Amino acid sequence: MRFLFLNHVQNAFQSLRSSRVRSALTMLGVTIGVASVTAILALSGGASKIISDQISSLSGNIAVIRPGIATDPIISITQPKLNHYYATSTLTEADILYIKNTPHISEVAPLMVLSGSIKASSVAPSESTVVATTPGLANISNLKLREGQFLDKDLKQDAVVIGTQLSINIFGTESSIGRILTIRGQTFTVVGILKRSNNPINYNSIDFDNVAIINFTEGKKLNQNVAQIQQIDIKADSIANLNPAIANISKTILKSHNGEKDFSVLTGDQISQSTSQLFYMIAGVTTAIAAISLLVGGIGIMNIMLVTVAERTREIGIRKALGASNSDISWQFLIESLAISISGGIAGYICGYLIAFIISRSFLTFDPIINWQISIVALIISIFMGTLFGLYPAFRASRKDPIESLYQYS
Amino acid sequence: MAVDTLPPVIRLRGLQKRFGIGDAENLAINGINLTINRGEFVAVMGPSGCGKTTLLNILGLLDRSVDGEYELDGQPVSEISKRKQARIRSQQIGFVFQSFNLVSRLNVIENVALPLIYKGITRTKRLQIASDILRNFHLNEREYYMPCQLSGGQTQRVAIARALVNEPSIILADEPTGNLDSRSSHIIMEELSDLHKRGNTIIMVTHNPRLTTYASRVITMLDGQIDTDTRNITKQPVTRHRKKSARKLKRGKK
Ligand SMILES: Nc1ncnc2c1ncn2[C@@H]1O[C@H](COP(=O)(O)OP(=O)(O)OP(=O)(O)O)[C@@H](O)[C@H]1O
Ligand SMILES: [Mg+2]
Repeated sequence: MRFLFLNHVQNAFQSLRSSRVRSALTMLGVTIGVASVTAILALSGGASKIISDQISSLSGNIAVIRPGIATDPIISITQPKLNHYYATSTLTEADILYIKNTPHISEVAPLMVLSGSIKASSVAPSESTVVATTPGLANISNLKLREGQFLDKDLKQDAVVIGTQLSINIFGTESSIGRILTIRGQTFTVVGILKRSNNPINYNSIDFDNVAIINFTEGKKLNQNVAQIQQIDIKADSIANLNPAIANISKTILKSHNGEKDFSVLTGDQISQSTSQLFYMIAGVTTAIAAISLLVGGIGIMNIMLVTVAERTREIGIRKALGASNSDISWQFLIESLAISISGGIAGYICGYLIAFIISRSFLTFDPIINWQISIVALIISIFMGTLFGLYPAFRASRKDPIESLYQYS
Repeated sequence: MAVDTLPPVIRLRGLQKRFGIGDAENLAINGINLTINRGEFVAVMGPSGCGKTTLLNILGLLDRSVDGEYELDGQPVSEISKRKQARIRSQQIGFVFQSFNLVSRLNVIENVALPLIYKGITRTKRLQIASDILRNFHLNEREYYMPCQLSGGQTQRVAIARALVNEPSIILADEPTGNLDSRSSHIIMEELSDLHKRGNTIIMVTHNPRLTTYASRVITMLDGQIDTDTRNITKQPVTRHRKKSARKLKRGKK
C-alpha cells in the first residue's frame, strides 16, 4: 500500500513534468491565493507581536476601553474598520469620571483624535494627527520626551507636545520648543518634543512621531465642545488589581449607558488585535485577492484534472484491466491534483514572504512574523484545495467502465 | 485425478452478451456453455466479428454486464465484489489485448512494470522484474523507448511481456502473434507453451491454424456461439466432470 502511494506520487510528478506550462498555469491560482494568505498572516502576526511586546513591556497593568463591541480577530481582519474615525463615539466624559473614581486605577487618559491641519512655517502632511488627551497618557503609554516636557495641569492650556517628524515637517528643525503652531486656526505653543519611536503600529493607533498632543479641554473646544472619545487608556496600580478594577468599570459604565453594551474593555492580547488603518486596508484587499484567487485556482485545478481524466480514459481502462481497483484509480488522480495544489502552495508560501518583506520594508516599520503556524495554514489550504477540487475528477476517473475506456479511440 | 478435485477454472452456462438496445440490439455472445480446467491451453478460432474478443473480455472480468452464469474457480463472478475482481485481475489474470493497449505516456519498461504496481511491489524490484522479462523477449535494448517508437511486432511483444510479468495463472491472449513473423511467433508460442507446461491456463485467440498445434484444445466460434470444440469429441470426461462439479457446488452451498 505504501509503495502504491509512492508510485502515485512519482506518477503525479512525472505527469506534471510532462506538461510543464499547463501545470504551472494551473498552480498559479493556488500560488497567488496562498501567497496572499501568507502575506496577511505574516504581516498581521508581525503587527500584533509588536503591540503585544509593547503591552508586556508596559508591565501588563494596562487596559483599553473602546466604543462599540470588540470583534474577534478574523472579523477584524476581513472587515476593515474604516469608519472608526467618523462614527459618533459611545464613550462620554461622564465615563472618564467614573473610571477616575474607581479604586486601584492610577491613571486615565482619554484619546480624542481630531481632524484638521497643523500649520507653522509649513503645513503638516496629512498623515499627521492631532490628539487631545490628559497628562496621564505619558505615564500610561510610556512616552519619552526628547526635549521639554509633557502636558501638565500647571501649564497654560494652549500647550502642545509634538512628534519629532512633525517638528521637522512644519518647523524644519527637531528643536522647536517655544514656537507657535496653529490647529484649525487656533494657536498652540510647543512645550515638548517626543523622542522618535518609529512605531506607527501601536495600541493607541497613533503615530507618535507625527502627532500633535493637546489638552483634552482644548480638543473639545476645537470640536464644537463635543467630546469625541475614540479610546480611554487606563492603568491600574498593580497587575493583580487590574481585573477587579476593570470588572468594576464595566459594571458602572454599563449601568450609566442604560444597560447597553456599546463599549468594550480590552486587556493584554485583546488590545493588540486592532492595528493601524493602513494595515487593515492591506489585509482587506489581500483577503479578497486570496479568496478570489483560491476559488479561481480551485476551479482551474478541477478543470485541468477533468481534461487529464478525459485524456487518459484509455490509460484508466488499461490500468483497470491490469488490476487497478477503483480506489487505486481515484487515488492516482487525487494525488495528482494534490501535487498541483501543494506545489502551488509551496511556491505561494515563498512568494507570500517575499511580498510581506517587500511591503514591510517599503511601507511599514515592523518585520513580518515567521512561525510554523503560517506554514501549516499554507499547507492546509493547499491540501484542502487539492482535495476539494480534485475529488470530483478522481471520482469520475474511478467510475469509468474498463471496456468502454479501452475501446474509446481504437 | 488432481485436476478433477479442483473446480474448473472457468465455467460458463448460457452466457449471453448483448450490445445496444431495441432495433440496434445484437448478441455478440449468444449462449455459450464452456468449461475450462486448470492447465488447459485453449486456442479460440473463428471469423472476424464472431465474438472472440468479447468472450475474452468477459473471461477477464472486464465486462460485467452479461447474462448467464460465469464461475471463476468455482465462484460465481456476479457475487465477487469489484474490489476483489480487481485483485483477481491483478494477481491471477494476464491480458494481452488485440490492440496492445500500451500506455502511450509511459516508456516500455514502465509499461511492463505496470501490473506490478497493483501488487504492491517496490519500484526497484518492479523495474528489475520488468527488465528480466523484457530480456526474455529480446527487448532489453528498447527498455527506455516510448511505445510510439516501437515497431508493430515489438509493441506486441511488449504487450505480451506486460501480461506475463505478474506471473498470472490464467493468460488471456487476443491474437498475440498477429503482427509477428513466423519465427517471432514461435518464440512467443514457445514462451506460452512453457507457461502451459508449468500448469498455467492459457486461452488464446488466433487466426493462424498452424499455431493451434501448441494448444491442448481448439474451439471454433461462429456468430457468438461455439461451433466446434476438440474436447467434445471425447464427451465422456466432460460430462463426468460436470456431474462432479455440480455435486461439489451443492456441497459448497450447504
Ligand atoms: N461496444 C460495442 N458495441 C456494439 N457492438 C459491439 C461492441 N463491441 C463489439 N461489438 C460487436 O460484437 C461482435 C463481436 O465482436 P468481437 O470484437 O468480439 O469480434 P472478434 O471475434 O474479436 O473479431 P476479430 O477477429 O475481428 O477481432 C461484433 O459484431 C461487434 O460489432
Ligand atoms: Mg477481436
